[in-house]
Amino acid sequence: MSAAGPPSPPHGRPKAGWQFPCSVRPHGGGGAKRRFGGNVPALAIFLLAIPVALAEQPALVPFTDAQVKAILALGPWPPPLPTDPSNRVSGKPAAIAFGERLFGDASLSRPGTVACNTCHRPERAFADGLPRAQALARGDRNTPSLVNLAGQRWYGWDGAHDSLWAQSLRPMLDPKEMGSDFAHVAARVRKDPQLRAGYVTAFGRDPPEDDEVVAVDASKALAAYLETLATGRTQFDEFRDALARGDRDAAAKYPLLAQRGLAIFVGSGNCTACHGGPRFTNGEFHDVGIPFFAEPGRVDPGRHGGIGKLSVSRYNLLGPFNDDASRATATSTRHVALDHRNYGEFKVPSLRNVARTAPYMHNGSLATLREVVRHYSNLDEDRLHADGEQIVKPLHLDKYDVDALEAFLNTI
Amino acid sequence: MIRGLIAVAWLACAAGAAHACGEQLLGVRQTAENQHYVVAYTTTPQPIVVGRHFVVDFVVCPRAGAGTPQSVRVDANMPAHRHGMNYRAGVTSAGPGAYRAEGLLFHMPGRWDLTFDVVSGSTTERLASALQIE
Repeated sequence: MSAAGPPSPPHGRPKAGWQFPCSVRPHGGGGAKRRFGGNVPALAIFLLAIPVALAEQPALVPFTDAQVKAILALGPWPPPLPTDPSNRVSGKPAAIAFGERLFGDASLSRPGTVACNTCHRPERAFADGLPRAQALARGDRNTPSLVNLAGQRWYGWDGAHDSLWAQSLRPMLDPKEMGSDFAHVAARVRKDPQLRAGYVTAFGRDPPEDDEVVAVDASKALAAYLETLATGRTQFDEFRDALARGDRDAAAKYPLLAQRGLAIFVGSGNCTACHGGPRFTNGEFHDVGIPFFAEPGRVDPGRHGGIGKLSVSRYNLLGPFNDDASRATATSTRHVALDHRNYGEFKVPSLRNVARTAPYMHNGSLATLREVVRHYSNLDEDRLHADGEQIVKPLHLDKYDVDALEAFLNTI
Repeated sequence: MIRGLIAVAWLACAAGAAHACGEQLLGVRQTAENQHYVVAYTTTPQPIVVGRHFVVDFVVCPRAGAGTPQSVRVDANMPAHRHGMNYRAGVTSAGPGAYRAEGLLFHMPGRWDLTFDVVSGSTTERLASALQIE
């Protein structure tokens, strides 16, 4: 089978054997839904034939050329692990080890009770399973997973940070999260023998007297550690790669229901408009009709607020702490546009490992993947900006479509 | 007859202007045109990659009788989705009639219209070039 072409029958099989099993419908330009009724004998014969047909037919949806192309663009996985030029200890083993130590150290918080891993729990894919973050106080947003963060353009639901190290600094200083400050973090690094040794090994010097520098360095070590958190290969990756090399037999091992969901995902669902690329995200921000009231009467401005915070942050990539002297890393920060439509936009999350990161959306308002799929199926367009972009539209999925998309999402 | 010859001559000149415009540009040259201007441009990288910043080097060539461009703005939008880029391009001069636009990024695959707003005196003319991004 050509990776770019439609499936073709293997040798020795009749061409008719490559038609859809009854449970798999062509999608998006593939034809109308089959409807049954009235002709009982024909239906009975048809039903009796199903087990035989399923046993003989290869379990591969005949994706269109465009769908195959879109599927191939969702890989390969894993991508090369990039280092961050804005962080001079990115990729350095000593910094990674120091960052891992910091990640589990509750003494960095003001009361000594909250560490990074209090909310970003490794056994929960570095999320917490709660609708909204709960550290020193309840936050407005869902705790995002920390996997596959290396090389992203923006960090946080509102993209208020343009580097992983700047994003790692924020929770330490946030009164609702760790409630700390530069002096406290720097004092811990200087006085705790293990932390001090970790700093010296990672940065090749004693912690300097400037508290801010020590705290930013700690965030850079944290970022070095976080860059190493990546998800492994999945059932989908095996399928995608089999498709790429034209291995029909290997591709056919991918569950049919998931294939059907994938066909919707890259076809009529147009999900890859935002959830494209190997990470299943375009790394940008969209309004998908989720209410953006943090509580009655108080709005979470989302990306609009994020750009505002970014532009005044001393820790953005245009600032003095960027270790990339060329500032080539600051292109996005230099050119990012602030528009009214950014209000209520939130970052498109990666869908890798998504089955393990419930609940969903920026406010954790959808408990299951099924609810997420139904949200897109029944989307209330009145909740979208009247003058905003026209990307998401209600998909009007039937139960089988919902099952299929959910099955697909469980394989990413 | 004379009108026809004039029309043919005008079209030939126009085609010539489009052909000659931006000869100094390296790489695959594309154009956006209207009755007053031709914009010839190349992108880096070529082709444009979804989700990565790119640079547009371009030359604005006025046709006969058109005003000299005083400034040029570059932008892009997706007509089907009714949105533009999430980034503002910065345009700098690169010599007489030549410019460089930086900071552009297409965050979705699909059809994008790359637009050049040529400002001359009190008038602004928009030239567009359709790009299919995969």
